[in-house]
Amino acid sequence: MSDAVLETGLGSRRLTSADGARRLFGARLGQRVARRAAAAGWLLIVPAVALPVWIVGSERGWLAQQILPRPADVLHTFGEMVASGELAQHAGISLLRVLFGFAVGSGAALVLGSAMGLSRRVDEYVRPLFTAIAQVPALAWIPLAMLLLGIGETLKIVVIAKAAFVPVVMNTSAGIANVPRSLVEVGESFRFTPLQMLRHVVLPGAVPPIFTGLRYGLTHAWIALVSVELLASSEGLGYLLVWGRQMFWLDTVLVAMIVIGVIGFVSDKILAVVETRLQRWRTDGV
Amino acid sequence: MSVAVERSDFEVAARASARGRLDVYGVSKSFAVNGTQIDALQDMSLHVAAGEFVALLGPSGCGKSTLLRLIAGLDSDYHGSIQQDGAVVTGTSLARGIVFQEPRLFPWATVRQNIALGLKNAPISEAAKRDSVAAHISLVGLDGFAEAYPHQLSGGMAQRAAIARGLVNRPRLLLLDEPFGALDALTRARLQTELQRIWAHEQITMMLVTHDVDEAVFLGDRVVVLAPRPGRISRIFDIAVDRPRERSNDQLIRIRNEVLRTLEHGGEGSAPAGTARSVR
Repeated sequence: MSDAVLETGLGSRRLTSADGARRLFGARLGQRVARRAAAAGWLLIVPAVALPVWIVGSERGWLAQQILPRPADVLHTFGEMVASGELAQHAGISLLRVLFGFAVGSGAALVLGSAMGLSRRVDEYVRPLFTAIAQVPALAWIPLAMLLLGIGETLKIVVIAKAAFVPVVMNTSAGIANVPRSLVEVGESFRFTPLQMLRHVVLPGAVPPIFTGLRYGLTHAWIALVSVELLASSEGLGYLLVWGRQMFWLDTVLVAMIVIGVIGFVSDKILAVVETRLQRWRTDGV
Repeated sequence: MSVAVERSDFEVAARASARGRLDVYGVSKSFAVNGTQIDALQDMSLHVAAGEFVALLGPSGCGKSTLLRLIAGLDSDYHGSIQQDGAVVTGTSLARGIVFQEPRLFPWATVRQNIALGLKNAPISEAAKRDSVAAHISLVGLDGFAEAYPHQLSGGMAQRAAIARGLVNRPRLLLLDEPFGALDALTRARLQTELQRIWAHEQITMMLVTHDVDEAVFLGDRVVVLAPRPGRISRIFDIAVDRPRERSNDQLIRIRNEVLRTLEHGGEGSAPAGTARSVR
């Protein structure tokens, strides 16, 4: 930090352009790349240990083939399922459900969370009910929701939306309510209208917690999807898990698990990238 | 005398009449802290001439920052009356700028954007706004840092940006709430000199809250010494020293010592010096 800090001496030692500043900010790019590489190295430690254990264990028959198939078999099944289009079909259906449910749930949550963060009165009216609903996990809503909505797409969307809704509301309302009073006062001194205050002070200040909420929401949506597909579906990755287990095709089960994990990981990363983009002011002048 | 000179004289006079006169009439303010009532300000009256530089000096708890917030219009829960140029202060106004102890820059906006936000509701064209922002960045010596984000600035640079933001609306009155309190001694001295230059250049009324005696005496036309519990004016010193001032000026040092004695004795008991007059 300190190397980017430079005091201009009362204009006498003024920098002629932004070049000086830019040079200082760029100097740490190399360090950052090195740090990233190191972090990636740590990430790979667990797979690097687990995979050989799996290979050796399945070759030596520590567990029955039906329970723990060989990695090669799983890979083969994966290849077959990709080639037949079966995997893409199930994954596509699951992805669509999550995207739709997440969009509905987080969209509604942004509206409600903002209202709760901006208005103490709305917060007082809504929060007890919200907390009560939030305390019952999405999974526990499924039996009741099934009776009300049947086992069609509506059920899945509602359950997924509910799962995404809760963390987004909590983080949005807290994020907006906790925008520093000191910065709001600056806006007041400039006679900001309520809309200007929202646009220039409240929303930018609340972006970090809102994004934390959205990332939690997406994770919860994905978990809820698998749950609801396990219980009430005839397609999708969750269904693939149940079906594979019933048939004792553990290779199929493992393929589904890995695909679920990878999609969840990638979607979280995508949100993380969007978050970084929106908060360029936190990183160095990139 | 040429016509051109006459006109410029007229303009100076017109501008002088538009500068911010400030009148504080019998202002009292109390807070409830844990059930007990604390009198932050008690029956305070103060009259500041247009273009004057007044320093409010006092120990912590004497209500000096509270008074500044009332004048700024950030808090309207008080008794008494505050008027700027004869109009009662109700809420904030673009005619009064304020610079806080912390820079309070929006961390997500660049220096340029931060200063431009000050002009959001100014009744001038976009082009005039752009020019004004650029001029104020230069005024505080931040050329080359317009596109920097606050976290890339040192404390002194951030406070310069905050001063530029406080000035960008061309307020008639600039309120400064211990703006240099968090800075190192060297940077503080530089910015004090800089502020004196800006004040002379802009010809606006400035009111500075500080607990630094040297700063108050160096910058002020008058130094208003406050006493705590309840917050009230204990003495007012006239600093009749020509500008630009030197810190080593004998007269300044004499007044400074007198102010220090007043502070040590809580504003009572010390003999009034020739340049000082007692109030109440």
